[in-house]
Amino acid sequence: MAWRNDVTLMIHDALAATIMALLQTAGLLAAAPLLRAAIKKMKARLQNRQGPPLRQGYYDLAKLLRKEPIRSETASWVYVAGPRVYFAAAVAATTLVPVLFAAAPLEAAGGILLLVGTLALGRFALATAALDTGSPFGGMGASRDMTIAALAEPALMLGLFTSALAAGSLNLGALVRSVLQRGPSFHPSDLLAFAGLFIIVIAETGRIPVDNPATHLELTMIHEAMVLEYAGPDLALVEWTSALKELLYLTLLVDLFIPLGIATSAAPGAILVSLLAWAGKVFMLAIAVTLAESTNAKLRLFRVPELVSVSLGLAFLALAIRFL
Amino acid sequence: MTNDVLILCAAGMLVSAYLMVGQKALFTAIRLYSAQSLFLGIVAITIAISESRHDLFVTAALTVSLKGILIPWFLMRVIDRIGIHREIEPFLNVPASLLICVGLTVVGYRVSTGFPEGARGVSHHLIGTALSMLLIGLFLMVTRKKAITQILALLTVENAVFLVAVGVTSGMPLVVELGISFDVILAVLILGILVHRIVDRFESMDVSRLAKLKG
Repeated sequence: MAWRNDVTLMIHDALAATIMALLQTAGLLAAAPLLRAAIKKMKARLQNRQGPPLRQGYYDLAKLLRKEPIRSETASWVYVAGPRVYFAAAVAATTLVPVLFAAAPLEAAGGILLLVGTLALGRFALATAALDTGSPFGGMGASRDMTIAALAEPALMLGLFTSALAAGSLNLGALVRSVLQRGPSFHPSDLLAFAGLFIIVIAETGRIPVDNPATHLELTMIHEAMVLEYAGPDLALVEWTSALKELLYLTLLVDLFIPLGIATSAAPGAILVSLLAWAGKVFMLAIAVTLAESTNAKLRLFRVPELVSVSLGLAFLALAIRFL
Repeated sequence: MTNDVLILCAAGMLVSAYLMVGQKALFTAIRLYSAQSLFLGIVAITIAISESRHDLFVTAALTVSLKGILIPWFLMRVIDRIGIHREIEPFLNVPASLLICVGLTVVGYRVSTGFPEGARGVSHHLIGTALSMLLIGLFLMVTRKKAITQILALLTVENAVFLVAVGVTSGMPLVVELGISFDVILAVLILGILVHRIVDRFESMDVSRLAKLKG
């Protein structure tokens, strides 16, 4: 009867993992618009404006979701599939990242490589969809996004590998657990990798030195140019996914460098502490993003690769110093 | 705890030196230098507390007030006055400089293992980052054309030397430290005036134009 026990155990594990993944994804999806709104609000306060209320992110999504989808006559199924694949990829990526527990819900499925690959798949889907309608803005945005991604992706991988090297595992859950086990002991490469990854997060989420999320009017826009053609629920999906990705990247930084307070058991107290710690740390990073966005001017497009190559250099250096 | 703070600050100094290489806006470069000096101040304070060497508090105060605040303020005023805000074209473009700096850092780190104290632990990282910063500073001095960037490179080299002096050796006598601090101030003041003169004469901060002075 031993094999039967194993099977039930496996089913239970799979069930638990699935439930955990669902809960975590739902939580992140619910929190994502709040993060964007909070950054917008803080930015407004720094400029002595009142800013939209924190609920505005949800209102915008609700309004967009209620509208009828309007699609260009020349659009094919690629255009329709774009936002959906983008959304699905981001949701799949969240299940690989530990948020409240020191284990990712579906960490058996894969680690860093799968995470980066999934995010790349989403980006590819959105870029091809932007090209599909044949509008000049879409193609321009797509080519720009890919130009930056080509540099940002290796930097992201190198930064993640630096942490993975210390942990001896590519699995994000194992990575967090190993950092917890080592205790707070620092290596110079930690800070180098953090600085590199922070620049990548700013580049990937389309924040100011790289892209301006607040305008449709600039010829230098990147992300907004790609999604200019979308309206209604399609646009809502894109916006929601972008917010989710932003939260995902910040959570990733928190996980890799300051996982203090993350729950290692399922006790209610530990979960509460973990939730508060996670929210607090993400909020601190959001403040850092806001400050970076408020104190810098947007870079000229041709200088963006320079900035991203700085982070590539930092990440490479972090990896190199690990061996020295 | 002490070791962690030291390592973090040293790494912070290295990151700021590195960002300086990737940066063309002069104001940002000056702010980075200021942050670098603040990190150095934190290193001095941490060592002062952990090894109860109270003379290091004076060093820290000097570092923070002079290099963290006064010199950056002075340099920003110089830039404001002459109205030149960016490095137009360095001799090497940014990605190439960054690549070379990665190489220099690896060299600095590798060399630091040759020191008897530098083989492991905190002093390994301190000497490693300091040597790397030294090399990066020298590299910046050679490849940049603007006089202000060259001053910043010189100051970065000085910060690197100070990091080793404070972090690894048992420190310098207070008189020497005071002397060095005032030397630095004087150097920056004179270089600031020199920049003014260069800009007056050539209407540019480009040092390579000084070659025209030859007959």
